[in-house]
Amino acid sequence: MSDASTQLYSEAELLFISLTDRTITRKPLPPGLYKEYLGGRGLGVKLLYDNLAPGIDPLSPDNWLVFAVGPSTATSVPTGGRFVVITKSPATGTIFDSNAGGYFGAQLRRAGLAAVIFTGASKSPVYLWINDNQVEIRDASKVWGKTTDITTDLLIKETDEKAQVACIGPAGENMINLAAIVTDKHRAAGRGGVGAVMGSKNLKAVVVRGTKTPGVAQPEKLREAVERARLLIKKNPVTDKSLPVYGTPVLVSVINEAGMLPTRNFQEGRFNDADGVSGEKLLERFSLKPYNCFGCPIGCGRMSRVRGKDMGGPEFESIWALGPQCGINNLEWIALANDKCNLLGIDTISVGSTLGCAMELVQRGKLEHSLRFGDTTGVLEMIEDIAYARGLGAELGKGSKVFATNHGAPELAMQVKGLEIPAYDPRGVQGHALGYATSNRGGCHLRSYMIGPEIMGSPVLVDRDITEGKTDLVILFQNLSAAMDCMVVCRFTNFAWTVDDYAAMVSAGTGLKIDGKELLRIGARIWNLEKLFNIREGFGKSDDTLPPRFSTPLTEGGSRNRVAQIDVMLPEYYSRRGWDKEGRPTGKLLKSLNIPIER
Amino acid sequence: MTLTVEQLAQTIDHTELKPEAKQSKIKQLCEEALSYNFAAVCINPVHIEYAAQLLKGSAVKVCSVIGFPLGATLSEVKAMETREVVTRGAQEVDMVINVGALRDENYDLVRSDIEAVVAASGDDLVKVILETGLLTDDQKKKACLLSKEAGADFVKTSTGFGPMGATPYDVKLMRETVGDSMGVKAAGGIRTFKEALRLIDAGANRLGTSSGIGIIEDYRWAQYSESWMQPDKPCWTCPSRMANIAKQPKEVYLWYKQRCLMCPNKDHNVFTE
Repeated sequence: MSDASTQLYSEAELLFISLTDRTITRKPLPPGLYKEYLGGRGLGVKLLYDNLAPGIDPLSPDNWLVFAVGPSTATSVPTGGRFVVITKSPATGTIFDSNAGGYFGAQLRRAGLAAVIFTGASKSPVYLWINDNQVEIRDASKVWGKTTDITTDLLIKETDEKAQVACIGPAGENMINLAAIVTDKHRAAGRGGVGAVMGSKNLKAVVVRGTKTPGVAQPEKLREAVERARLLIKKNPVTDKSLPVYGTPVLVSVINEAGMLPTRNFQEGRFNDADGVSGEKLLERFSLKPYNCFGCPIGCGRMSRVRGKDMGGPEFESIWALGPQCGINNLEWIALANDKCNLLGIDTISVGSTLGCAMELVQRGKLEHSLRFGDTTGVLEMIEDIAYARGLGAELGKGSKVFATNHGAPELAMQVKGLEIPAYDPRGVQGHALGYATSNRGGCHLRSYMIGPEIMGSPVLVDRDITEGKTDLVILFQNLSAAMDCMVVCRFTNFAWTVDDYAAMVSAGTGLKIDGKELLRIGARIWNLEKLFNIREGFGKSDDTLPPRFSTPLTEGGSRNRVAQIDVMLPEYYSRRGWDKEGRPTGKLLKSLNIPIER
Repeated sequence: MTLTVEQLAQTIDHTELKPEAKQSKIKQLCEEALSYNFAAVCINPVHIEYAAQLLKGSAVKVCSVIGFPLGATLSEVKAMETREVVTRGAQEVDMVINVGALRDENYDLVRSDIEAVVAASGDDLVKVILETGLLTDDQKKKACLLSKEAGADFVKTSTGFGPMGATPYDVKLMRETVGDSMGVKAAGGIRTFKEALRLIDAGANRLGTSSGIGIIEDYRWAQYSESWMQPDKPCWTCPSRMANIAKQPKEVYLWYKQRCLMCPNKDHNVFTE
């Protein structure tokens, strides 16, 4: 048990902020909710499912915006410094969670909180200042319109030099669907337009300073589990060597070699200039030092120096989106564009993918504009136009699905459920393809990172081309990822840890009897509740699909002559999930997961 | 296959044979071997005395390589090396066969080379490394039989420094040749539990690997899905696909490639990468 100076996660509070009437309410973490959903993503999903009316406009005051941490946050559990933002996405219309590293999450937990829940909307720009038990809604007019770096610096100056800031940039203020929430100036809860929801509430930032010590239920057991977990990270070649040395950009060469590096809006799977934008090249030309998030022994983040300016990143997905996806091979320019996105508060994946979509529309004569594959001219200005919702930028800011549809070519948007697909062409990886199609938040590589087993051989190499056995593994990773997002820990630990390791740490931290199977059950509960949320919003089987491009084989590269076989895998996926043929969870399943059935 | 994590660990020779290995690495290796209850640590002769001190009184054996990695030294030198490591605490020795003599069909020399090490090893276990990637199937079989005749306890596939590592195909061939009275150790390129289980399934009862911890830890994934063990394309694990003309004698390389032409799975031998 914790002593008087520490606070168990079960004792952490929910902080409700009504921005409409500026009331602040503290509530204890409901024990039932905590035991069944742990925290982080699970906590947020449960709150939204129970409290949001179906069909609400994500950018209206009716939407909720939840910042949540979990039982591993700010404890000795490696990578336990992340936080999750949960809301209904303006980009997809689905339930959505987006998480970020940095140091903000740890501070939130140290302030004694499990989550901050924003409801309603302020009439004028505000920010929330949490100083341990003191909580204030403050005027943000001085920082409204400012970029994320300036906002961060000004708000730290105005509050506490040890405070951490999560804020939006101009993109969030202008409520564009690609808007991110940025912390530590370059770590982003990037996807799904969570920044736009923040902007719709006139909430510029959350600033937090916490000094409490999070307690754990069984310190000795946790110490043992953590010691073991750290050893496993040290023994794993990905977490001990590849990621610390090159960061995530190590994947550029790996994925290109497999013929899956989407090039020119997924028209090709091999980028001839991949070497020039690789992790090796980033290390040689621009890397300043690694960046470690709170409590992280891996240090996959990069700090780069480009044209005399120090900046975060660029990460693999950003390099791809702003590079090969747009046919651009200039790594220096990519780093600058990535930095611009961070400052403006834009999701690099979606903005790059949407720009690539626009370039293909131009290529096919469906759009008249100077945007061209491989040409950086005017692109930085276009990114600004997107953030400020100006001209064509305002259209692009709605994301590729809306943009391509408006230009008469919806098939050119490389998205699932409105979220742009990241940097792995699904034709070369059947399991990963199924993960994209069935993701509850749309085109996402992290719901079930099948690149691990299908490409990197982690934990073992499985044949990327076959469909047999893939549904099983996709479900395993989907459930585990959901559980990890409840703890809340980084996905990259997954290269080194097994289900049992996560369970050991969460069990020791909380005192709950959770073994590997129970942890996966928690993950399955969250996955199914998300599915129910989406069904309530009108999503169905036809949304569990991929763009038609992926039914046409690539003609060159290591993944040529393949198509994504979603139709083959989807019925088995539904069946293994315990869903009916339309992809709806059955009553029997919901009962077994203790999810109340709505009448 | 129903093998517990503990049983799998008991098949592993926890291996560190890199020339740059420092004493701290050997210390770590021994500590890990004790912690995971591996069968042995497999190390270079220079580290034997230190490892023997660290593992004294434990069930983890100390294994030294001999004539490593080429096997192209004199029998007298191999015998002396064996005597020295046994004196320093080695309980098992993994010697490299005289590959050139085998290919010359100088079987007396091959046999006497092994006999010299067996004689020098006392009660220690002797494993004979064939370096299968340098041999045709007939040569592998002959090497197995010579090892058996010479009184060795195990035959072992590879050094890990040669042209190819352990394959289920070779292990099966070796097991069929030596029968149940000898051990078969698979070594070289074993990095995952899937590879480990396939080699055990093929007949190996000892695995040499520097990825022992990863294999054991990752094996815990097996309880959550049977799909890890889905069959791969047959060519994936076939030595013929791993053949490399830059690393193998031309006739051996061509022998491997000839096998592809007659392979019943040759229709699968189409790769787009």
